[in-house]
Amino acid sequence: MTDETNAYDAADTGHVWDDNLRELTNPPPRWWTIAFHASWIFVVIYGILYPMWPTFSGYTKGVIGWTSIGEYKESVAQLEEIRGPFEAKIAQLEPAAILADRELANYTDASVKVLFGDRCAPCHGAGGQGNPGYPVLADDVWLYGGTADKIVESIVNGRQGMMPPHASRFSDQQLDDLATHVAGLADGKEHEAGKVLYTGAGACFACHGMDGKGNQALGAPNLTDRVWRFDGSLEGIRHTIAYGVNAPGVPETRNAVMPAFADQLDETEIKKLAVYVHRLGGGQ
Amino acid sequence: MDYQQSERTYDFDVVRWFSIMAIVYLVVGTAVGLLIAAQLAWPVLNFDSQYLSFGRLRPLHTNAVIFAFGGCTLMATSFYSVQRTCGAALWSSKMAWFTFWGWNLVIVLAVITLPLGLTQAKEYAELEWPIDILIAVVWLSYLFNFVMTIAKRKSSHIYVSNWFFLAMLVMITYLHVVNSLAVPVSLFKSYSIFSGVQDAMIQWWYGHNAVGFYLTAGFLGIMYYFVPKQANRPIYSYRLSVIHFWALTFGYVWLGAHHLQYTALPDWTGSLGAAISLAMIIPSWGGAVNGMMTLSGAWDKLRTDYVLRFLIASLAFYAMSTFEGPVMSLKTVNALSHYTDWTIGHVHSGALGWVLMVAVGAIYHLVTRLWNTEMYSTKLVNMHFWLTTIGACIYIVAMWVSGIMQGLMWRAYDDYGTLAYTFAESVEAMHPYYALRVVGGAFVVLGAITMLYNVVMTVRKASAEGRVGESGTAPASA
Repeated sequence: MTDETNAYDAADTGHVWDDNLRELTNPPPRWWTIAFHASWIFVVIYGILYPMWPTFSGYTKGVIGWTSIGEYKESVAQLEEIRGPFEAKIAQLEPAAILADRELANYTDASVKVLFGDRCAPCHGAGGQGNPGYPVLADDVWLYGGTADKIVESIVNGRQGMMPPHASRFSDQQLDDLATHVAGLADGKEHEAGKVLYTGAGACFACHGMDGKGNQALGAPNLTDRVWRFDGSLEGIRHTIAYGVNAPGVPETRNAVMPAFADQLDETEIKKLAVYVHRLGGGQ
Repeated sequence: MDYQQSERTYDFDVVRWFSIMAIVYLVVGTAVGLLIAAQLAWPVLNFDSQYLSFGRLRPLHTNAVIFAFGGCTLMATSFYSVQRTCGAALWSSKMAWFTFWGWNLVIVLAVITLPLGLTQAKEYAELEWPIDILIAVVWLSYLFNFVMTIAKRKSSHIYVSNWFFLAMLVMITYLHVVNSLAVPVSLFKSYSIFSGVQDAMIQWWYGHNAVGFYLTAGFLGIMYYFVPKQANRPIYSYRLSVIHFWALTFGYVWLGAHHLQYTALPDWTGSLGAAISLAMIIPSWGGAVNGMMTLSGAWDKLRTDYVLRFLIASLAFYAMSTFEGPVMSLKTVNALSHYTDWTIGHVHSGALGWVLMVAVGAIYHLVTRLWNTEMYSTKLVNMHFWLTTIGACIYIVAMWVSGIMQGLMWRAYDDYGTLAYTFAESVEAMHPYYALRVVGGAFVVLGAITMLYNVVMTVRKASAEGRVGESGTAPASA
């Protein structure tokens, strides 16, 4: 066997496979051998320091006393030291009182921001800016009221408004008239035939008021403020009038359900969320 | 031994088919990976279809690259090299064909069942129990044929690549059978016999050793045959190969628990997994050192030999990711890296850098030997090399940045001791890196397509020139 392919001084093992496969008798590199032995020494030392070896009655605990639950508790304790005083105060106070204490309100914002992001933002947006079909929380327009207590109520019990559908009762022409009238309210433009329906057969005024300014006790929106819960185009308004909101048995109806969080969040969390939402910009 | 002689002596038809299918599955597997990477960046690409959703396609991607591409590659290279290093044809040609058709049937069944959502919900072991049984039968046929071929060898000693293939064959049988133990309730549904924390432990004992034996030992077997063969140089150190072989074989099975630190798994198991992981760096590097030092005096070949380039670059990635993995298993690092994209980046530095590149290098070598010809275009081989290298680097770096940022954002606290970021904010911060990953992945897929085209043209050329088979004429360059 010619050795022109062997760049080393070492000979091969004397075996040849498949014409030219050979292995040389070089020892492993010295650094490798040292590191190899060091590896096992490392394992022994690590096993002395940390819990590592099973025994008949449990396991070796390690001399430094580390446990994962201990590490966790230690980290949490450090944070609790900062949070504790704030949390103690918040537990005692009503949302309105928290809002009055600037430092406490700032803490509340910081501590509940993630909860808002996880539980509220998916519908209402990361900054409470709303999404198509989901109300804005950062403006001063409220369906059910923007005081801290009302916001708590909305979170605890959820909200599910109801507007009856009118498609079966009204003709196409009547629906057009009524929609035109409602769409014009913000500009003070009245539609004669529409207004007759609004104040008469449609009974719209019963919830939305004679002046169209709504009724927070019923969750009936103000129709004159250019803020639309659903599509505010003429066609969109007509659709809402025709099929209603949360109308049972009407597939085309507008869906508007805010879930109740009473069973999912604790009292303090809900209190904090109310403060957070109130401070988004539109609290009353 | 010249071409006609080896065609007469050995059984290469099944190897040719495994090689071709490996390339086909490389294209398919990476393409599905590209799609799901794009879905993570742009969810609209789920097309609102349950069959195309990320959750269904992700296991299809992992199964396609690991078991379809990886499996066909291992079967092609091991059936090829075991014959040549033993100087003996396969013990049973029929059984090898059974392995081929059986393995491809498994792959077809995976392609059907995974998008339908039929899964055991065990990572890298998603396929339902009837397919698990088929896998076991096919795998045992592979193992048995391999062992019997070694038994009838003409050489006195067993060549090192065969040790690694054997270790893989034995361990994967054991891992697959134990992890897949389940109680069937219907043809398409079963429940693991393990539950809770035991299930998690068994799952990761399996999961990590799928990496350790299938993707490491098996592919080291490839390295030990194809690197010295392609470089025409003797292996640097016999002793090194023995020591690192046994260290890996005995050590790797301990590592699984490092996937489950800071969970309900007892602390001592995590420590043990992490400590042995650290101790695996040097044995792993043994393979990289042995491969690289084999090239001593032949480094100039890298300028002209693109196949060797793939093989050596793969060893560099191998050395890097076998260092990175143990570091990530340390408690302090793991607390940051676990559940983040860093893990995905680490997996892909192993998968794209090591497994894919060493496999591709070996398959290019195989194609020229099996079809008795030169590659249709060496320029395209070179292009494939750079597409893969650049693609892998983009992918890995994107996931490093994304993963470390993710880990830091999740644990960031403000002055009030409260979390600084919402989960959605961390998702938003990932977006540019998810897009970058798509770019990296696209390079890899493009490379795979280049290879498929190049190999198809090579095979057509060889067939047209009548070079293949026992009557094949020797290539002009030989």
